[in-house]
Amino acid sequence: MQASRARLFKEYKEVQREKVADPDIQLVCDDTNIFKWTALIKGPSETPFEGGIFQLAFAVPEQYPLQPPQVRFLTKIFHPNVHFKTGEICLDILKNAWSPAWTLQSVCRAIIALMAHPEPDSPLNCDSGNLLRSGDFRGYNSMARMYTRLAAMPKKG
Amino acid sequence: MEDCLGSDEEYYYSDQDSLDVIENEDSDLPWILPKGPTTKVITKESLLTAQKEDLRRVMDLLFLREHHARTLLIHHRWDVEKLFAVYVEKGKSWLFAEAGVTVVDHQDLDPSPPNSPVMCAICMEDVPSNETTKMDCGHCFCNSCWTGHFVVKINEGQSKRIRCMAHKCNAICDEAVVRNLVSKRHPQLAEKFDRFLLESYIEDNKRVKWCPSTPHCGNAIRVEDDQFCEIECSCGLQFCFSCLLQAHSPCSCLMWELWAKKCRDESETVNWITVHTKPCPKCHKPVEKNGGCNLVSCICGQAFCWLCGGATGRDHTWSSIAGHSCGRYKEDKEKNAERAKRDLYRYMHYHNRYKAHTDSFKLESNLKESIQKKVSISEEKDSNLRDFSWVNNGLSRLFRSRRVLSYSYPFAFYMFGEELFKDEMTEEEREIKQNLFEDQQQQLEENVEKLSKFLESPFDQYNENEVMDVRMQVINLSAITDTLCQKMYDCIETDLLGSLQLGIHNIAPYKSKGIEKASELPASWVNNANNAGKGPALHCGTSGGSTELEQPSGFGSSEESGYSSRKRARKEGLGGGFDLNLPAEVDRSDS
Repeated sequence: MQASRARLFKEYKEVQREKVADPDIQLVCDDTNIFKWTALIKGPSETPFEGGIFQLAFAVPEQYPLQPPQVRFLTKIFHPNVHFKTGEICLDILKNAWSPAWTLQSVCRAIIALMAHPEPDSPLNCDSGNLLRSGDFRGYNSMARMYTRLAAMPKKG
Repeated sequence: MEDCLGSDEEYYYSDQDSLDVIENEDSDLPWILPKGPTTKVITKESLLTAQKEDLRRVMDLLFLREHHARTLLIHHRWDVEKLFAVYVEKGKSWLFAEAGVTVVDHQDLDPSPPNSPVMCAICMEDVPSNETTKMDCGHCFCNSCWTGHFVVKINEGQSKRIRCMAHKCNAICDEAVVRNLVSKRHPQLAEKFDRFLLESYIEDNKRVKWCPSTPHCGNAIRVEDDQFCEIECSCGLQFCFSCLLQAHSPCSCLMWELWAKKCRDESETVNWITVHTKPCPKCHKPVEKNGGCNLVSCICGQAFCWLCGGATGRDHTWSSIAGHSCGRYKEDKEKNAERAKRDLYRYMHYHNRYKAHTDSFKLESNLKESIQKKVSISEEKDSNLRDFSWVNNGLSRLFRSRRVLSYSYPFAFYMFGEELFKDEMTEEEREIKQNLFEDQQQQLEENVEKLSKFLESPFDQYNENEVMDVRMQVINLSAITDTLCQKMYDCIETDLLGSLQLGIHNIAPYKSKGIEKASELPASWVNNANNAGKGPALHCGTSGGSTELEQPSGFGSSEESGYSSRKRARKEGLGGGFDLNLPAEVDRSDS
């Protein structure tokens, strides 16, 4: 417990230092609980998520960094590896390929990479996965873009 | 096919020598080298020995340390031959990389000055270098982080393959380091880790399985070659190594599974209900007609016609039922009922015979005591006949043949039914094969019954000539039933199962001397460990030179020495333990 607190505190300091260095990720720690974090990530360019800002919720276990944090999208997103209702993410590094060397910052980078390179063969969102597997990239892009506009872009007016 | 059951003379072998061979079944012929049992019982004490055998082979061939050899073997599921094949085919570096083995020359790793602070990439703390550990892969983290990592992995049940903490590093952590760090904080977990490593030899090894006895005897069985075999554990349980159910040859595992299920569940009750009852059209409960005419009344009050099952009025005359006429033929219903009836009778035919032989087997098992009494009475008589081993040989032959006979019925049920091999044979082929098989079954059955009759005879009250006659009959019938069993197995393996397209039905080969008793593996390594102080220790050089273990001559050769070592190990508290550092601790001083 103490070790995980110390590690998270170090990460918090690192985040403060790297704010300028990585403008695509904004990690915020909960004021009252160091084990609860949220992140705002920018949709990667040249993808249907471009221009959107997606909110992630981190629940860090007491065994961190020996066990992975639980991460989910709070913003609705149309992506084969993200559950449309719960926001759960299917990503190996958050499950069996976790290494204690990963940080919350690097997890955010991995999620951005996943947004740009979906894995339709292990889908949590079957509709999205089926579009990609059948080769209907146009259909996938338009659906993903629509949900990005609806949920991840600031409303005008 | 020649008839084995002609006149009485045909039972007799003219050659006296052949009688002696049959009589002393257990004596091996002098010109045939006695082949040791190919199955071994691995007890708690000898598990370490068994594991060390395989480890030694890999260590010697690849010049490796023990923990690296174990990592390779766990990755290849303890299949040494497969491991060597991969080594030859793809080379050492590929073999190591795939399994997560990193062999480094420790001199190359630049040693940091003692107590100089090192930044641990996991906890992000500066730690004195003497409180860090560098794995073979070169990654270095603080002991506290390593320990936490190991504890999590052991609790998750991943003891056998704990990987390095660095991202995308495939290397497996050195088990000595794991044991050392974990035992400081969690001694019980270190024991658990050792147990997992040790039991990996059984859990992950396709040649080794736990004995399925309940309550568990604690033994495992290792087979050398054929995995479709039947084995007797030292606890006395006979089982099929492939499916871990009771020994069931000549049935294949799938056949036996289906048969056991059929006998266990209510599938035949359902069949009986289909054949003998009709559902009420109102409440749908099955109704049995216990006599009378075709107007049947259900307990719910609904009247219906027994012939067609349709609802009717309650009034009827000799020739008609009110509001109903059912002369129309409904093919499907009739067909289904007929098929169900036929299947039920077929099942009953085979089940009755299977059960009859199984019951006979149980009754004959009780014969043993009464026969022993008869033998002891006969031996006390003043007679030239002193040797009554033919009785015991005949009895064991009777048991074996009865077993084969009882399991041949479930085999026939599936072999010649439509459940498994519907499209494998034409009707004509099926009939020919069935006749061939049933002929053999019948011959075996006749001879088994005759053998049973002679063994049950009160030979203790007979005079010498009569006893001689019984002896000849028993010896001859034993030989005949053995030959017939062998023939039946040959027929099954070549003519019946051998001709099938699907190779999923394998049966354990016929063994004339009965199910093979697995021999105990002597726990000789444990013995050596106890003498570690006196004898030479086992050294592993860093250069990877082959490891040598000097042994006193005749070490562990006799079963006696294996047994005494096991007793001594228990006395000194080693027997049940799981210390993987046996034999004497590997000297790592120069590494």
